[in-house]
Amino acid sequence: MRRGSIVQLIVIGVLAGAIASAFALIPNWLPEPASKEAGRIDFVFWFVTGICIFVFSIVAAVSVFAVWKFRAKPDDDSDGAPIHGHTGLEIAWTAVPTLLVTSIAVVSAIVLAKDDAQGANPLRVEVTAQQFFWSYRYPESGNKESDVLRLPVNRSIVLHLTSKDVIHSFWVPEFRQKQDIVPGIHPTLHITPTKVGTYPVICTELCGLGHALMRSRAIVMTDDAFQKWAAQKGGA
Amino acid sequence: MSAHAEAHHGPPIAHQSSRVNASVLGMLLFIASEIMLFGAFFTAYFFVRVVNGIPWPPAPFELPVFVAGINTAILVTSSFTMHWALQSIKRGNRAGLQGGLLLTFLMGLVFLLTQAREYSRVGFAPHDGAFGTIFYCLTGLHGAHVFVGLSILLFMTIRAFRGHFSPENHHGVEIGGIYWHFVDVMWIVVYSTVYLI
Amino acid sequence: MTSVVAAEHQPYAAHEGLPPPPGGWRRLLYPGFLRAAWMAPLFFGIGCGIVVLCRWWGGWHPIWFGEIIVLVGALIAAPIGFLAGVGVFDYWVRYAIGAPTVPEDHTGHGAYSWRDYFRVNTDHKVIGMQYLVTTVVFFLIAGLLAMLVRAELAKPGMQFFDNQTYNGLFSVHASLMIFLFVIPAFAGLANFVVPLMLGAPDMAFPRLNALSYWLLPIAGIMMVSSFLVPGGAFASGWTGYAPLSVHQPMGTIFFNMGVQWAGASSIMTALNFLVTIITMRAPGMTFWRMPLLVWANFTTSLLVVIATPFIAGSQFFVMFDRVMHTHFFDIAGGGYPLGYQHIFWFYSHPAVYIMMLPGFGIASEVISTFSRKPIFGYRLMALSLMAILVLGFSVWAHHMFVSGMAPWLRVPMMVTTLLIAIPTGIKVFSWLATMWEGKIHFNTPMLWAAGFVSMFVIGGLSGIYLGAVPIDIHVSDTYFVVAHIHYVLFGGSLFTIFAGIYYWFPKMTGRMYNETLGKLHFWLTFVGFNATFFPMHLIGTQGMPRRVSDYDPMFAHWNMFISVASFFLGASTIVFLYNMITSMRRGEPAPGNPWRSLTLEWQVTSPPPRFNFDEIPQVVGSPYEYGVPGARHAVLNGDRTAEEVPVH
Repeated sequence: MRRGSIVQLIVIGVLAGAIASAFALIPNWLPEPASKEAGRIDFVFWFVTGICIFVFSIVAAVSVFAVWKFRAKPDDDSDGAPIHGHTGLEIAWTAVPTLLVTSIAVVSAIVLAKDDAQGANPLRVEVTAQQFFWSYRYPESGNKESDVLRLPVNRSIVLHLTSKDVIHSFWVPEFRQKQDIVPGIHPTLHITPTKVGTYPVICTELCGLGHALMRSRAIVMTDDAFQKWAAQKGGA
Repeated sequence: MSAHAEAHHGPPIAHQSSRVNASVLGMLLFIASEIMLFGAFFTAYFFVRVVNGIPWPPAPFELPVFVAGINTAILVTSSFTMHWALQSIKRGNRAGLQGGLLLTFLMGLVFLLTQAREYSRVGFAPHDGAFGTIFYCLTGLHGAHVFVGLSILLFMTIRAFRGHFSPENHHGVEIGGIYWHFVDVMWIVVYSTVYLI
Repeated sequence: MTSVVAAEHQPYAAHEGLPPPPGGWRRLLYPGFLRAAWMAPLFFGIGCGIVVLCRWWGGWHPIWFGEIIVLVGALIAAPIGFLAGVGVFDYWVRYAIGAPTVPEDHTGHGAYSWRDYFRVNTDHKVIGMQYLVTTVVFFLIAGLLAMLVRAELAKPGMQFFDNQTYNGLFSVHASLMIFLFVIPAFAGLANFVVPLMLGAPDMAFPRLNALSYWLLPIAGIMMVSSFLVPGGAFASGWTGYAPLSVHQPMGTIFFNMGVQWAGASSIMTALNFLVTIITMRAPGMTFWRMPLLVWANFTTSLLVVIATPFIAGSQFFVMFDRVMHTHFFDIAGGGYPLGYQHIFWFYSHPAVYIMMLPGFGIASEVISTFSRKPIFGYRLMALSLMAILVLGFSVWAHHMFVSGMAPWLRVPMMVTTLLIAIPTGIKVFSWLATMWEGKIHFNTPMLWAAGFVSMFVIGGLSGIYLGAVPIDIHVSDTYFVVAHIHYVLFGGSLFTIFAGIYYWFPKMTGRMYNETLGKLHFWLTFVGFNATFFPMHLIGTQGMPRRVSDYDPMFAHWNMFISVASFFLGASTIVFLYNMITSMRRGEPAPGNPWRSLTLEWQVTSPPPRFNFDEIPQVVGSPYEYGVPGARHAVLNGDRTAEEVPVH
């Protein structure tokens, strides 16, 4: 390959990388994180995005260059160079992706282990899903019931999830955590809210007619406000 | 006859690129697929019995292990008569082929009828809990295979009595036989997992 | 005898074929739609009779029970009656009862007029066309359903449909696209091409091949007609998760049984391909000289034979839970609802490779031919197919990262999932290297193949996100997943199906398609596709769940944009249909080898002779030796010209 071609190739690669980076950075891809777990998951997201932009740039550079430079003239009936393969190259594009996916797997496994671990003194909330609404119970506060998920900020929360009928799935995009609730299985979900605010609770597993409307709210409050609410009799 | 010859101008003879006979290979692949179908049912069995850990059989119900054991012996014997039928035609012994197929068919029929009688006396139904579900679906799936096997045997028997098959041309018996052996072996697996363990 | 030679080389001209049907009432006994018209109702009646008899004997009440009548009578017995009527079983019935048969009876082989495409035909080329036309019809129906889904989603709130109908729309859309379009369309292309590529006169079991085609319209009509039954179409998604699917209206059993018919069709075709590839290769055609399309169909067929019984099982269980009140997925009775997902995905993950590997094969053929270069790293390409096959069976639980299954399963499944990116990556890099320093001709098939590679890269990269468990926890069951599957199944499978249709169009019809319209079709689809599906990534990560008829107003702008783009995308199909229909009728006659390709199917006339080859060719080398001086793939007819070929 001539030096000029290599320069052209690199320029295309950098351009492709720049365009991909713009796509990654300009729109607001992820909702504002509101939990510790969200921070870690976002880290994996951007880690993978970095690797993907790298791979994309290489692929884009090679394909754009090939389409641009190796297009045959309309009356050119000759064949291309009879290259059957290149062992070194083939080993390289087996080995490098292996390294990349291994790094993704390692990072993911670490984050997964951290997100699954519960913090000290977790607050237990029992979440019940049924067609088509959510209800919450607080065993620590005399089994106080609520149809809104109220949580204190900066405290480890463990949700114990139950479904009464079909499969539902608990998701708060700002917390990033999601868990399907299969009837008969009682999974848990760990969340540590870090930001006061109101977030949507969404059912993400098709559960029948009212699936789209199976919504609720998660309200993260300051610790004082939460204690005050928890002490009240009744009231959502 | 020239018009006839023209109408039957056939394709070039395909090159045989493997020593395996195409029909035998087809049957073996079909059996691989069948094993996976049983695999799906055994997966359901695994989830109910191992993962959920339900009692097997649950308290008031009992499995007729002895009757089913006799039935197993009948079915296993039928594999030997099937083998006898195939060996007979390979040696040109038509009477052996006919007798072997007939015996195999009758034993298969006895097995199926015993199974049906067992269903009516066993004391539980498919809707009586997951145990009943798995029992009926596994034995029923196998029963359906016995039914298919019996149909194939019936056709082979009819053909044998109408003078088909010869030492040179016995693939029809061989392939049906492979299926019948598969049905037998599968029953041993079903019997040991559902009745014995 | 010269007239025979001429006839052999103009196989679609007026010629012999089936004897004309008898006149009078005997016509009713002649295989065809007329016989099917009375045999299907007859079998329906027999099915009803069996149900009534069994229920009477077992003492169940009511004796006449609607759902079981529909299941046994309409969904099992009547289709068998239809198949018997059109004549799929005639030979086997004669064989079974020991009546005289001619094993090498070729009267039902080949097509001489359009009518021959509407009867049971044993010619793999005719069956291939039957497959393709049928699947394109279901593709159009499924596409229209997608338009309806997008119409509802254009604005937040409910506009056109109630929830049950909406859920039915996307469920039927996905089921038709998967079971009646992508999988059988690949089977159809392979049906036409694989025996030709192998140098075989037909498939190993031509009558089985005919049966596997005729099962397909039954499955499709079953799924579409579920809209007409009380309660509407099946509405629990194409995944049909239990226990929801158990408690849906009657339409669900139309899905359960439709999948069985389509699955049976897939298994039979796959078995046929495997036996054909193993036992009917031309002399000299070793495994390492097979075109990659053949390799791809070999691995796909292995996947189909091994995996498909699992979806059959899962749908049987759901159906039994409904009609027999069994307890597979009912916790009260000791069942295990999560088991459905394990069994379902044990098929349905391999199924995504079933829907992708044949496309890899098509892309390899097209890219090598139009780049005028040998496939880069041929052996590694074939081996990576096998690697995908093996890994494909060990990744099913990545659809279940958030399902609540045993947590220890997640990390191993993530590792295998990410590992599958390696053989897939090898294929992408090899295609790029094949194009490198080639003499690329951007005819329509090549445009589709190059478009496939670029779109598949995006779909593959978004797959990496989904493979990493922490990200999957956030984006699973959102529009991000919808975007991902459409990038791999639309940008992947559909683009390669189009590449294949354009590539083999001259071979199949004997006419050239319109190049300008083909390119226009590609560019419209390419733009419409990206405009429709790329924004879905964004609204997915931002928080829009999938399978909803209504959504947060914050996504209103993007959804309107996506809906408009999807209508544009849908409209681009009109160009395709117009091109196909007009070119089939009035296109320029195609030469035998318009693309100067080396594989065997291009070495015969377009369309190929009735039995593909006058003599079985002798294969002497690799099928991709472009640019190698003096290299040949095969020697046909002892290298003599057609005029010199003796007839017998």
